[in-house]
Formats: sequence, structure tokens, C-alpha cells
Amino acid sequence: TAGILAPGLGVLAHLERLETQMSKSCKQSEEPQSVQAQEGALGTKIHKLRRLRDELRAAVRHRQASVKASIANVEPNLAVEMSEQEVLEEKLENVKAVLQAYRFTGLSGKLTSRGVCVCISTAFEGTLLDSYFVDLVIQKPLQIHHHSVPVFIPLEEIAAKYLQTNIQHFLFSLCEYLNAYSGRKYQADRLQSDFAALLTGPLQRNPLCNLLSFTYKLDPGGQSFPFCARLLYKDLTATLPTDVTVTYQGVEPLSTSWEEQRASHETLFCTKPLHQVFASFARKGEKLDMSLVS
Amino acid sequence: MDTELAEVRALQAEIAALRRACEDQPAPWEEKSGVQKSFQAIQQFSSEGWKSSKDLKSQLGHLESELSFLSTLTGINIRNYSKQTEDLTGTEMTEKSIRKVLQRHRLSGNCHMVTFQLEFQILEIQNKERLSSAVTDLNIIMEPTECSELSEFVSRAEERKDLFMFFRSLHFFVEWFEYRKRTFEHFKEKYPEAVHLSEGPSSPSMVIRSASQPGFELVIVWRIQIDEDGKVFPKLDLLTKVPQRALELDKNRAIETAPLSFRTLLGVLGIEAALESLIKSLCAEQNG
Repeated sequence: TAGILAPGLGVLAHLERLETQMSKSCKQSEEPQSVQAQEGALGTKIHKLRRLRDELRAAVRHRQASVKASIANVEPNLAVEMSEQEVLEEKLENVKAVLQAYRFTGLSGKLTSRGVCVCISTAFEGTLLDSYFVDLVIQKPLQIHHHSVPVFIPLEEIAAKYLQTNIQHFLFSLCEYLNAYSGRKYQADRLQSDFAALLTGPLQRNPLCNLLSFTYKLDPGGQSFPFCARLLYKDLTATLPTDVTVTYQGVEPLSTSWEEQRASHETLFCTKPLHQVFASFARKGEKLDMSLVS
Repeated sequence: MDTELAEVRALQAEIAALRRACEDQPAPWEEKSGVQKSFQAIQQFSSEGWKSSKDLKSQLGHLESELSFLSTLTGINIRNYSKQTEDLTGTEMTEKSIRKVLQRHRLSGNCHMVTFQLEFQILEIQNKERLSSAVTDLNIIMEPTECSELSEFVSRAEERKDLFMFFRSLHFFVEWFEYRKRTFEHFKEKYPEAVHLSEGPSSPSMVIRSASQPGFELVIVWRIQIDEDGKVFPKLDLLTKVPQRALELDKNRAIETAPLSFRTLLGVLGIEAALESLIKSLCAEQNG
């Protein structure tokens, strides 16, 4: 930077000296003098003014050129470096975002010092539920160091089948089991919380939520006997039961219409999620009430 | 003298203008904005800038390797993701300490030969007791679109707003798809004369023909189905094409019962062995 400063100062100083000389000679020329002396003085003055003007022209040209050069020298590099940084920052943001996005696949993870910690997210028909993690140690053989999978999920079985040969299959298989368990649990929870009015006794369930037993009535205040439902989910990767029995807890045999209802309920429980079946019961019940009123 | 005076005045005017021009274009070392700032920026950059650039590069490298690991681990490769958040909390809700947020997500990527583009919305409701999140809208675009087995499954996933089931089933479907392709390719390589793949290795059917027995054809149709629960399973069927005369000679009705026998064979030997035995049975006459 010192080199750039010196010539500039030099030019400025030089121009200032010329200026001072000019103003001095101008003042001198204002004093009364003989015409000849005046003419001579004018001539010199013009000569000097011309010199000053030429030097100023040169100085302006010189400055224009050097400003252009310095900008060209300084800013392109800076522009390149700054855009490189911007590009890096943008890439970093993008990669961070995509890493975050993996949780929407149901499977995401983070690298650990020993291997990877996989996070399995569960959901049932759009409602996001619990997450579980499996901490894997990358070595031969691959090992599960740590996990939050409930004890009644057959983790060891699934690991024995797939962990060593096909880790993707292991993870997705575990996903299936955990999502199904989460879904069954969700249905049972919703039944207990939203439709307690239709239940005539407590909901009986096992930790795995694949065996449910409950008694219910379509018309809670009515005289009819309750139905007793038993739902067995043999397929642990499914959220719908494989075996359903609905029985009638009365002494007298069922009338035809009630028998039809009982049979239809069995079908309903097999084909629709538990809380949705009860939601339809509740809606029908409302319709019944309306008919009573009118 | 007048002309000379005039010239003096003209020169003085020009000098004044040139002086002004000199002031308007300050030398680089004088300017405070623009280039001076650039200098300052470079100085700053030199002390901190290079370090942070290196930091950025190493951070990026670490995250990129994490990403590629995750992609290998899940078999799903996400390339783009963007998110928008909208706070729907009304003043009434704030008083009851309820917070409602709508998230709009967009992601795209691929799972082997299938590319997907998803747009979905998640509604988060936070009250004093808990936070509930639910997918309120799901739109899926998939390529290739010829996989008709997939399009039905996609509509079901969209209807149920089941994001995770979509990815899970997609993964298993692609696994089966690749396995079917590898198996067909393997047999095509091993028995080039006998095995024909009409639409290439990705086709859902394999035709077995014997040069020495023209008119006889065994067609194995291998479909990959996705059921209501999102479970993916293969469904194999055997179709036979035989000349009329052979049918007449077939007293034991072996040809009629072939499709059923094939099912049994599958159950006993598994897919690969069953297919191999079929090929060998048709081509055995060729050699013998």
C-alpha cells in the first residue's frame, strides 16, 4: 500500500505548487504595469496556465486508470473468496436440512464414535407417535450396544435373521414391528379416552397390545345386554386383528337383527381401526337419539 | 491582448473543471467506501476468514459423509428438502397457552430406480399437557409411472396420510424389484437360448422356450404386490402355452395342473430353485 500512496502524494503536491505559483503570478499581474510588461506577463501566464492544465489533464487520466486497475486487482479476488464462502455456507445449510428430512422416512440416524445411532419414528395414519432408538456398534459382528425398544418386541429374533447380512432389512423390519405396536397402542388408547361412555367395563390389554378384550353397548342407557369383544392380532406387523370374536352376554338368544349386528361388528373390527369403529357406533347412536326425540 | 485574456479565462475555467474531476475521482487510497472497505474486508478475512473457511469445509465434509452413510443405511437417497412454518396461534389460544403451528414440507429424492417428490403438511398443537403432531396433507409424485402396482399403493398412502408406511413399503418394493431383476438376469445369462425377457430384465415376466420343442412355452409372471397394510409380497404364476396336439396327448393333465404344481414347487424349493427346475425340465429334452 505504501507504493500506491507515494506517487499520488507527489502528483498532488506538485499540482499544489503549480497552483500557488499561478495565484502568485496572477496577483503580480494585477499590479499596474506597462503594457509591454503586461503583454509579456500575460504570455507567461498563459504559458503557465497551459502547463497546469496539461498536467491536470494527465493527472485525471492517471487517476482514472489507477482506480480502475486497483478495483480490478482488489475486488475480483475478494469477490471470488466471498462467493466461495457463500457457496460453502449454502451447501452446509442444504446438507443440514436434508439430514433433518430423514426423520420423515421413519428412519434417521447420527454417526457416533463407535458406529451409528438409528432413530425409528412411528406413526399411525398420519398421527406421529413415539420414537425409538438403536445404537449400533460398527464391528464384525455388528452389535446392538444400546436401545429403547420395548422388551416385548422380538428384537433379538429380527437381529438374528437380518442384522449381519442385510442391515437395511433389519432396520425396516424393526420399523414394521414398532410402527404396528405403536398403532395398536394408539387405537387402544383412543378407545379408552374417547369412547369410555360406550364401554361397560375396563379395557383389558397386554403390553404388546395384540390381545384386547372389552365389553361395550351401543346404547349406554338402554336395556340391551352388552357385547363382549375379543381381538387377537397374531401378525405383530399388522394394526388390524387377525381373529375377532364378538359374543353376547345375555341369557336369552339374540333376535335376528341383533345377531346381524353382532356379525357385522365382527367384520367391522377386522377391517377398520378400533377407534374408528367406535366413532361410527357413536354416530349411529346419535342418529338413534334423534329418532327417539322426533 | 483581448484574445490572450480570453484564453487566460478559458484556461482558468478548464483548470477549475479538471480540479473538480480530480476531486470526484478520489485515488484508491483516499476512498473510504467501496475499495477501502474491500481492503478492510480482506484484512479481516485474512485473520479470521481463512480459518472459518477451513472450518466450513471440514464441517461440510463430516456432514456429507453422515448423509451418505444414512443414505446407504436406509436405501433412501434424499436430495432436496425445504420447509415453511406458519404460526396459526390465535390470541385466544395464546391465553389458554395453546400453540398451533402448520409446517409445509417438500422433499425429493430416489430409492434406486424410483424417484419421488413429496409435499406434505404437519399440524402441531401444543397445549399444557402435550404436543401432538399430525400429517394433514400428503401429496406424492413418483417416477417411473409405469409401475401400476405402485400407483395404487401411492393413492392409498396419500389417503391415509401415512408417510412412514410409504417409505417402508417403497423400500421393500424396490428390494423385491431388484431381486426379481437380478434373478431374471441370472437365468438369462445361464440359459441364453431358453430364457427370454420380453421387456428386458425389469419386465415382470420370464418366458422359457426350448428350441427343440417349438410351440411349447412356459411363462412365469412375477408380480410384486402391496396389500392394504403396506405389506409387500411377491406373487408368482405359471402360464403354459402348448400345441393343440400335445394337449390331446396329455392324459395325465399335467399341463392343466401345471400352474398349481408350480405354486407347490415354489413353496418347497423357493423361487430360484423352482424357476431353475422349470427351465431344466423344458430344456432337458433338448439335451437328451
